[in-house]
Amino acid sequence: MAELWNTIILEPVLNSLIALSGLLFGNFGLAIIVLTVIVRLILLPLTIRQTQSTKVMQSLQPKLQEIQKKYAKNQQKLQQEMMKMYREAGVSPLGCLWPMLIQLPIWIALYQSIMQALAATPENLLSLSQHLYSWAAVGQAVPLNEHFLWLRLSRPDPNLILAILVGGTMWVQQKMVTPPAVDPRQQSMNSMMTLMLPLMFGLFTLSFPSGLALYWVVSNIIGIIIQYFITGGWGYLRAPSVPKQMPAQKTAPAQKPMPAEQQSKVLKKASEQSKTIKQASEEKKKGLFRR
Amino acid sequence: MNKVVKFFKAELKKTSVLLLLLLALSLANLGCAGPAWRGWSGFASQDGVLYFGSMDGKVLAINPSARSQGATFPGEGEWVFKIPTVGAPGGMCGPLGCAPAAPPVDVYATPVVAGDLVCVATYADQSGKLVAIDRLSPGYTEGVPLRSKGEWTYPSGVKSIGAIVGSPVVVESTLYVGSSDGKVYALDAVYGEKKWEFNTGAKIWTSPAVKDGVVYISNYGHKFFALSSTDGSLLWEIELPAAIASSPAVSGEKVFFGTFDHQLYAVDHTNGDVKWTFEGGNWFWSTPVVKGDVVYAGCLDHRVYALKASTGEEIWQFAADSQIVSTPVLVDNLLVLASESGKIYMLKVDNGDSERTVSIGGPIVAPLYAEKDTVYVHARNRCVYSVNAQSGEIAWKFCYSDIK
Repeated sequence: MAELWNTIILEPVLNSLIALSGLLFGNFGLAIIVLTVIVRLILLPLTIRQTQSTKVMQSLQPKLQEIQKKYAKNQQKLQQEMMKMYREAGVSPLGCLWPMLIQLPIWIALYQSIMQALAATPENLLSLSQHLYSWAAVGQAVPLNEHFLWLRLSRPDPNLILAILVGGTMWVQQKMVTPPAVDPRQQSMNSMMTLMLPLMFGLFTLSFPSGLALYWVVSNIIGIIIQYFITGGWGYLRAPSVPKQMPAQKTAPAQKPMPAEQQSKVLKKASEQSKTIKQASEEKKKGLFRR
Repeated sequence: MNKVVKFFKAELKKTSVLLLLLLALSLANLGCAGPAWRGWSGFASQDGVLYFGSMDGKVLAINPSARSQGATFPGEGEWVFKIPTVGAPGGMCGPLGCAPAAPPVDVYATPVVAGDLVCVATYADQSGKLVAIDRLSPGYTEGVPLRSKGEWTYPSGVKSIGAIVGSPVVVESTLYVGSSDGKVYALDAVYGEKKWEFNTGAKIWTSPAVKDGVVYISNYGHKFFALSSTDGSLLWEIELPAAIASSPAVSGEKVFFGTFDHQLYAVDHTNGDVKWTFEGGNWFWSTPVVKGDVVYAGCLDHRVYALKASTGEEIWQFAADSQIVSTPVLVDNLLVLASESGKIYMLKVDNGDSERTVSIGGPIVAPLYAEKDTVYVHARNRCVYSVNAQSGEIAWKFCYSDIK
């Protein structure tokens, strides 16, 4: 299994990274940046699909909550209604999951490649020999020069600069995609997660090779750019963290099921929204590629 | 089904959090990965005692006759010395645990004997040191060398140079060594004082070779240098398409070394002109062995090649079961070769036919060392093996991992 992983995923990424470093005048920092950009561009269609699905799913949230409340005691009916709602809205709950699952092995391969390519110890350098192709560009690039700007890419950044950059960019990205929740419990969980993850990765940066942290920063920045162009702005970054409670919502009997007419209106709206988002993102995508 | 539905009910936010945590876990695993024991020191020998650096930061002196009798360690002339660490006390704690302020000391370089001293080059993350120890019994007290025994460290005190991977060489009381800081140092082997240094401009992880007043050394910046051994002045240098992987071997009028683009080079020792190259299937990592007009070069493509030193023409090749990392040795008419998996091959030098094969318990990456018919092997399982090259028998085995 490990061998299959190495042959199919790790080694192509590792060798491309090293060959790229050779082409970029032996600058491994630049190679990390360029490869991250290339990988994110290849995965762009998936990212776009994911963003679309997310938006539609978010628009269905009020309706979903309504169904959940309505059929709280009947799980089977709840499932049926949920599936019906997804079908009518033209989305699949898996729609936003698959792109992430496909991207995951590539990210892990990138992490592993950066760690292996840097070969911080003599043993690491020796074990690198087992994963390299006999490409001239690869043979001429190893062992890699680990110096980039103020960083030694195989060592953690002794300054806080990279940790702040990793945490900061991750926070912005998280904030852009996290919708403000009405439920205070959900809201506090959201804000905790939005804060915890950047903090956690910021702390990781202090103990991981700065080559990895460089990859995180670049990947986050590209994520922010893609998000900006697809959603046409800064998303929820500018929105208030806790939405104002509408008087209607306050007084509305939460337990009372929505009338059938209203339900179909919401669904229709979500379906329309789904179509509009898809159309808009198609146009954006075209625009993006044109650029 | 219920669980699945509940899972799908979760918003993307939750899913992404889960995936990111998974990533973080895999990252943590990556960060923890690494070999348990580090270093690949070979042996130096004097007065029937073997000196080597262990894979857990110690220097050992072992007496083969005491080991063959199964005597309790330490026997006559034997000792173990813990190399002092360089750094302040206390540690730094991160999210994945605490790291000591002073990195562990490893020994990749084979020690060298200079008079009554045994000199060990150390590797401790980014820093290195040369430690000269009284070879009869170490006099160091709390990491400080005992001057009355002639012991020294270079640089002295808490200062350090770049980490050292390549073995030092002593010629006529001068010690030559290359360091990760890119410099070649020439030291007085008796007093530990610097005679000269030469900055090559890129990391050095290989050993120098010294012959007829010339120090030959390469760096990871694709360059090979010939320096005057008296003052370190540059005699000539060449730049190659790839960095040099192996330490050089000098014989006759040529210098032989392997590169990271799978080539074995033979260059003229007077000006660095490339005489011939030979392409293998991977890096020529171990130091080539030259005898007469034949170069024996172990390669990470699992093979050893016997080539004509004059032309680079292949005479024979032998395929082992795994990578050849350790430098082979010649014992009479046999080439003794170790594969990384732990097999030792005795090959006929004439045609490369395997006379016999011995399998030991652990992987082998350290260079082999031969005295008469006996070959000493420092294996990755922290054991030393004495193998008779003619009979193929393991005479004795000593595991220093058992020493308290």
